[in-house]
Amino acid sequence: MKVTGKCWVAQGYVMAYDIIVQQFWTSPIDPKENARWVMAGVSEAFNRENGFASQGYTFIVAGHNFAGGGKSIEHVVTGLMGAGIKAVFADSFSRLQFRNAINYGLPFITCKDIAKGCQTGDELEWDTATGLIRNLTNGHVFQSVPVAPFVSEIAAAGGLMNFIKKRIAEGTIGELH
Amino acid sequence: MTITEKIIALNSGRKRVVPGELVWVNVHTVMTMDYLGAQTFAKLHELGVEDVFDRNRVICVSDHLVPPPNEKFATMLNEWRRIVRSHHITHFYDLGNQGIAHQIMVEKGHVLPGRISVGTDSHANTYGAVGALGNAVGVTDAAVAMAIGKLWMRVPESVKFIVRGEWPPYVMAKDLSLHVMGMMHWNGHLIYKAIEYTGDAISRLGMAGRMTLCNMTVDLGAKNGIIAPDAITRKYLRSRTEEKYLNVQSDPDAAYEQVYEIDLRQVGPTVSRPHRLDDVVPIEAVEGIPFNKAFVGTCTNGRVEDLEMMARILRGKRIHPDVNMLVVPASQAVYLEAMKKGYLAILVEAGAAIDTPSCAACAGIHTGVAGDGDVVLSAGNRNMQGRMGSKKAEIYLTSPAVVAASALFGKITDPRKL
Repeated sequence: MKVTGKCWVAQGYVMAYDIIVQQFWTSPIDPKENARWVMAGVSEAFNRENGFASQGYTFIVAGHNFAGGGKSIEHVVTGLMGAGIKAVFADSFSRLQFRNAINYGLPFITCKDIAKGCQTGDELEWDTATGLIRNLTNGHVFQSVPVAPFVSEIAAAGGLMNFIKKRIAEGTIGELH
Repeated sequence: MTITEKIIALNSGRKRVVPGELVWVNVHTVMTMDYLGAQTFAKLHELGVEDVFDRNRVICVSDHLVPPPNEKFATMLNEWRRIVRSHHITHFYDLGNQGIAHQIMVEKGHVLPGRISVGTDSHANTYGAVGALGNAVGVTDAAVAMAIGKLWMRVPESVKFIVRGEWPPYVMAKDLSLHVMGMMHWNGHLIYKAIEYTGDAISRLGMAGRMTLCNMTVDLGAKNGIIAPDAITRKYLRSRTEEKYLNVQSDPDAAYEQVYEIDLRQVGPTVSRPHRLDDVVPIEAVEGIPFNKAFVGTCTNGRVEDLEMMARILRGKRIHPDVNMLVVPASQAVYLEAMKKGYLAILVEAGAAIDTPSCAACAGIHTGVAGDGDVVLSAGNRNMQGRMGSKKAEIYLTSPAVVAASALFGKITDPRKL
């Protein structure tokens, strides 16, 4: 499958705390509300209702340790998904948010140096099968680390919990390896 | 392959794995505790699952909330106990038999070389001390592991630290841990890496020090920290488990993303300044700074060897009248052994208060929290603003030896100069 859309390129280190600032840590998780305020801590432009969500980005492109800072809050991922983000491409991710992202069905894709070849607003095309990311605006091509098939299965099932429920019902837990 | 890669391969039915790969692994044990356990079991029920995958391999520990200091915690504990009992969990370490979960997991033989164990608390990296792959997970991942005995993992790149030389007097594993923090930085280059500690200095390090080292790898941002099993490991496990385990070691040609060498002659007593873990300095840079609270305990430094070091320094002496010192053994077993060996008597005679084994003030939610204006000298693991309570408190992190020596004078003191 190929996914196409506009990207937002992070400038510098984006922490989980910036993606969802503490005043918007809803309890329980509220994806719609999280999406309204996602990225509020990243820049002044995004620090208003739907500041990021209204920009129509499909992808985020970032450098090292995207969503780091040692916070496990799942609002980061629900907020980004609610804002229409379909995948995040970065050199590396914080371990906690990498797990959350896969478990919620938002692919966090490792792709070395991609931030150096993209600018905010560039149109990207991501081939989910081969991991090839094409910058349609400037012609650069990047090979990302392909994801295991179960990652797309989790996304298709609507998250890890549903995926496991389905597997238990089918009696196919034993096939996970 | 490195030891971490081999463990992941062995427990996922593969001959080989490569860094970056995502695989499903079999989990040896899953730990959950009083603070997040009820949520974890609720998630298990959400999966439509009534029973855990193996009631001998789901380990439940009361550590954050015991004994309850308020009504809220008491009620949470009651609910927690009801849930654990309803699942007929074999190993439930509740008040009277309790300890900090990570201490319990290692001390009671619930983690083994070559196997994978996870827990719903960030310092589950501690399990690497016996050559296990130990990992912290959230409640969703823990619930899945409790339901099916499996979990997905990303194979990390490995980074090796070769540590050489004799351990100088009063220099502890904590100093090495903080030294590495200063080198590599909090959330720095070691994000998602497997850290392997090796070298002759590690071979001479006892299990308590190995636990301290592996414990704080999570604060370096790493996936896990590990020390390959050796004679010390086998001796430690002899009385703790009857299960067979594999002697998994890194191959001589294993590929490391980086290799660092540390000579212990360059490591002295080390301190991390408020409010950043990686604001690390040799003790000389902070000597003489006054403080009013001293704290030794936690899954990082609450073991018998830590209390022994403190007793050596405080024997026959009296701590400064302006210092409140709180000492919290990491488990009932540690408490009892330190009592029998006379260490607790020495500490009490010196003016320290001993508290019931628990996480205590470390996470700022239980006994001994910091208030406005407090300056805390702690042998714990984190010092961000507000970590131990008030945001208007400052926390210096260091070894139990430095805490003990400093408590005598009410200001940061180099134990080598006593």
